[in-house]
Amino acid sequence: MTAPEPFQAKDYKSDLKPIWCPGCGDFGVLQGLYRALAAIGRPPHEVAFISGIGCSSRIPGYTTAYGFNSVHGRSLPIAQGVKLANPELLVVVAGGDGDGFSIGGGHVAHAVRRNLNITYLVMDNQVYGLTKGQLSPTSPKGLQTVTSPLGSLEEPVNPLLFLLAYGAGFVAQGTPADMPGLASLIEEAIRYPGFSFVNIQSPCVTFGEDDQQLKVHKAKMKSLASLKHDPADQLRAMDLARAYGTELYTGVFYRNPNPPLPYEELIKIRQAEESKKARPRHNIIDAYLQK
Amino acid sequence: MTQQTQGIDFATLSLRDALDLAVLIEEEARDRYEELAAQLVLHRTPAAAHFFTKMMRVEEIHRKELAEQRARLFGTQPSTVRREQLFDVEAPDYDAVRMNMSHRAALLTALKSEVKAHHFFTEALRHVGSVEVRKLFEELCDEEIEHQKLVKAELDKLPPPTRFEEDDFSDDEPVAQ
Amino acid sequence: MTHAQLGLACCSAAPHIMVDDLILGMAGAGGDGVVSAGESLLSAASSEGYHAMMTKSFGSQIRGGESSCRVRLSTKKVLNPGGALDVMVALNWEDFFKFGAELPLSVDTVLIHEEKVGPPPETLAARGVVPREVLSVPISELTKKSAGSDKAKTSVVLGLLSGWFGIARDGIARGLKKKFGNKGEGLLEANEKALAAGIEYAQAHPLAQARTIAPPNGTPGSKLLCDGNDMTAAAALFAGVQFFGGYPITPSTEIMQTLTREIWKYGGTVLQCEDEIAGIGASVGASFAGKKSMTATSGPGMDLKAEILGLATIAELPLVLVDVQRGGPSTGLPTKPEQSDLFAAAFSGHGDVLRPVLAPTDVEDSFRITVEAFNIAEHYQTPVIILSDQEIAQRKEAVDRIDTTKFEILERLKPSAKELESYSRFKLTESGISPISHPGMKGGNYLGAGIEHNEKGDPTSGGVMHAKMNQKRFKKLDPLKQRADLFELHGNATAPFAFVAWGSTAGVCREAYALAKKAGLDVKLLVPYLLWPIAEQVFGDFFASVRHGLVVELSHQGQLYRMLRMQLDVPRGVRSLARSGANPFQPAELVTRLEGLKEMPQ
Repeated sequence: MTAPEPFQAKDYKSDLKPIWCPGCGDFGVLQGLYRALAAIGRPPHEVAFISGIGCSSRIPGYTTAYGFNSVHGRSLPIAQGVKLANPELLVVVAGGDGDGFSIGGGHVAHAVRRNLNITYLVMDNQVYGLTKGQLSPTSPKGLQTVTSPLGSLEEPVNPLLFLLAYGAGFVAQGTPADMPGLASLIEEAIRYPGFSFVNIQSPCVTFGEDDQQLKVHKAKMKSLASLKHDPADQLRAMDLARAYGTELYTGVFYRNPNPPLPYEELIKIRQAEESKKARPRHNIIDAYLQK
Repeated sequence: MTQQTQGIDFATLSLRDALDLAVLIEEEARDRYEELAAQLVLHRTPAAAHFFTKMMRVEEIHRKELAEQRARLFGTQPSTVRREQLFDVEAPDYDAVRMNMSHRAALLTALKSEVKAHHFFTEALRHVGSVEVRKLFEELCDEEIEHQKLVKAELDKLPPPTRFEEDDFSDDEPVAQ
Repeated sequence: MTHAQLGLACCSAAPHIMVDDLILGMAGAGGDGVVSAGESLLSAASSEGYHAMMTKSFGSQIRGGESSCRVRLSTKKVLNPGGALDVMVALNWEDFFKFGAELPLSVDTVLIHEEKVGPPPETLAARGVVPREVLSVPISELTKKSAGSDKAKTSVVLGLLSGWFGIARDGIARGLKKKFGNKGEGLLEANEKALAAGIEYAQAHPLAQARTIAPPNGTPGSKLLCDGNDMTAAAALFAGVQFFGGYPITPSTEIMQTLTREIWKYGGTVLQCEDEIAGIGASVGASFAGKKSMTATSGPGMDLKAEILGLATIAELPLVLVDVQRGGPSTGLPTKPEQSDLFAAAFSGHGDVLRPVLAPTDVEDSFRITVEAFNIAEHYQTPVIILSDQEIAQRKEAVDRIDTTKFEILERLKPSAKELESYSRFKLTESGISPISHPGMKGGNYLGAGIEHNEKGDPTSGGVMHAKMNQKRFKKLDPLKQRADLFELHGNATAPFAFVAWGSTAGVCREAYALAKKAGLDVKLLVPYLLWPIAEQVFGDFFASVRHGLVVELSHQGQLYRMLRMQLDVPRGVRSLARSGANPFQPAELVTRLEGLKEMPQ
């Protein structure tokens, strides 16, 4: 691992032009990410950026990091494999609300409880953009979409409560409507020594509802700091998280004041212990020798 | 108005840093116009794209002028102000653009950005300590007014806005990927 | 009535045969220690230098159901579990009959049964085969008398077998010490007494047709004893595996379990994931990060992994995937072998995909094939599927120690410093193989993806580039078809009769080939280790002389046969001999079928 150097936001920007619609919230997220990475100062070749499938999952290609735009819903396990193979890498995972909480939903709990030092950014726009506007797991009840023309009958998933309930050590929410705040949240999440989650309300200009656009965010957002919330208070965090869908709270809901050692650190300890028992390569087979 | 800079103390801001800040403001705006133009080209909105490309060049001219002024006064002294301390001071919001936006809408965006920049300098002036910096910022304030006039003039040249939004005429359906 | 029942003394007039191959079977209820006895026998024999093989079979209860084992001992390499048993120990009839054709008897089988359960029921006669020698032994009695408890039954059985067939007495005694030495008071002593009682009984009641196994050829301490899963795991460690992501599924779980005991010693990690998909996902992630990576599963898991297999193919990432085949489809027969995943291994997943499929044939070559799989995966930057099966995976074999110094280990092609100045991850090279970077390598930054891409790695939907990339991904594997070392040939090149067999069926075919040759048939045998892509030239050359051939495999559809027909002109005289799994072939049966082809119309 290279020592932090002075990097600028533009060092993380690739030449690939984003295909996102003009006005897409993800542009702001990308900006925030460039800034966060610059603040942390790891060289792009030491950053591995894994995503699933969706508009927001295109994001790794717009950075100069090593990217892996994998398959729908499976970015978390893949990212954990990357991190375990090389714990020195800075690993960021990104995707949308469908990628993360629909098809990928089964993997969330395990990524949280395993607690590898990786950061998961979900660009939550309450819709499936890439495939033309279907219902998503975070769509509000009653929403009319192409797959719910008579209105959705389902309650949405609450990503914040989901992650808090599973015991994630760092849970935050942001919006590109507050760029300094978002950049700072992403940076903080990356710096947190364990599994960190930032839900980013990143509106879809093409299929999103009018009341979900950035203008509305600007008017509606309330910082958790202004509510005098103490991020060490996990229960209050869950209480505030219940307002997901009604309120747009930004900032850190919960940060574990005593983060346990991340998984890969525990592995390192184990490897150090066990390596004393290693056999020379040509004698590995002798474990089965009958004497 | 949302926060536009971070970690800049206007009270103690030196002329050198103020110039560097001004250069970065133009640079930020230039890069943003370039980006937005590219988005709009990709999304078949040529009139607005063309205008933003023009704005990109305009901002570059401003930037160059300020950079030259800085070089004359301070040579190659390293800068302590960083791009990351700016948050869309003069650069238009990403949210300001839409596919099929009209030339008029693009002009209005640029206008809004100039107003934003003007407001920034006005605010900053309330806290600025150095006399030289004050002079600089007052100049820049005036320039922003000039720019606004230019944009308004262009707007006036346009035919009056219609009842219809550009998008109403669009007959291209979104394509699933 | 047996001689023993009639109280007659040993028929010293009876000839004493020395055999170099002995097949023993045992059946009882779980808890009787039948499998444990088999393990002890196996261990004892192998420690003395015998070749050996043991298979086990169980009822569907987790505990307490019927259980059986077959142990085949030999002075030569054991090719397959064999057919009719030479010796059968039945602790009760109900459990014995549950195993049906897995424990076939012949007229020459020495059938030993617990006295308490009475003589063989009518059902045995109804099956048509009644062994000449049926011995009723008071096993329970002997155990209680010698050891003071019913629980040391297995030691009595071992004593009987040792006494009657001269098997590994020292080895068995050593085994008892190892097993019970550290356990409770008097446990070792009790078992030793039980062993002695069994030996004594055997000596006092000699067999009518005495058979003893010949002394071993191998030297003591020269044999490895393990099953196919163990061997696969050991080979992976040897080849340098650094990451295994998996999920428990019968019959592959032991690979993960072995690796999770060992891999830390070599700086690697095992992750038991939340599901099959996460398992292959994590493994692909580790490969993307530059490490040799592996996952293992069975049929149902193969289905779930199909999508990410495709991802690894288009992203050109090395990966070894072991599919330990079991009866299918769907949940199928989890504890029985079948060879019906070949279609899935070659074809599953959408799009135009080509990935190598290799198949070991026994525990011994599971090592070589696994090392080969890693080499192919790393060199060609592709997922490679190893098709093992439940029989190979879970049967134990005593094999000669493998000399690992003769194996070459290949690493992936890394970009040069010059190439990193302007790096294109998917550069269209002559061979189709592009130098591959990984996170941490300065200058090698690229976007890995499931989406089609150009040479640099940028997403593309252009038809021309897509065609070029497909071509690259297929062409790079062409050299595999020239790998003669991935095929085993026996017999005259011009022989008109032929067998083709893969996986565990190859072991049966090797014996069938030997039998057929002995019977005067001009026959040859081809065992392919590389099943896909089909090496058209190799098969074509092999079939050129063939007028009567059988492609033998355990699947309802005869999957390899169909794939051969798909890829080349298979002569009319070459036919498929295929049937569903859990119904293994026997060497004699194969010879009969091959000879029978002579009668069939050309």
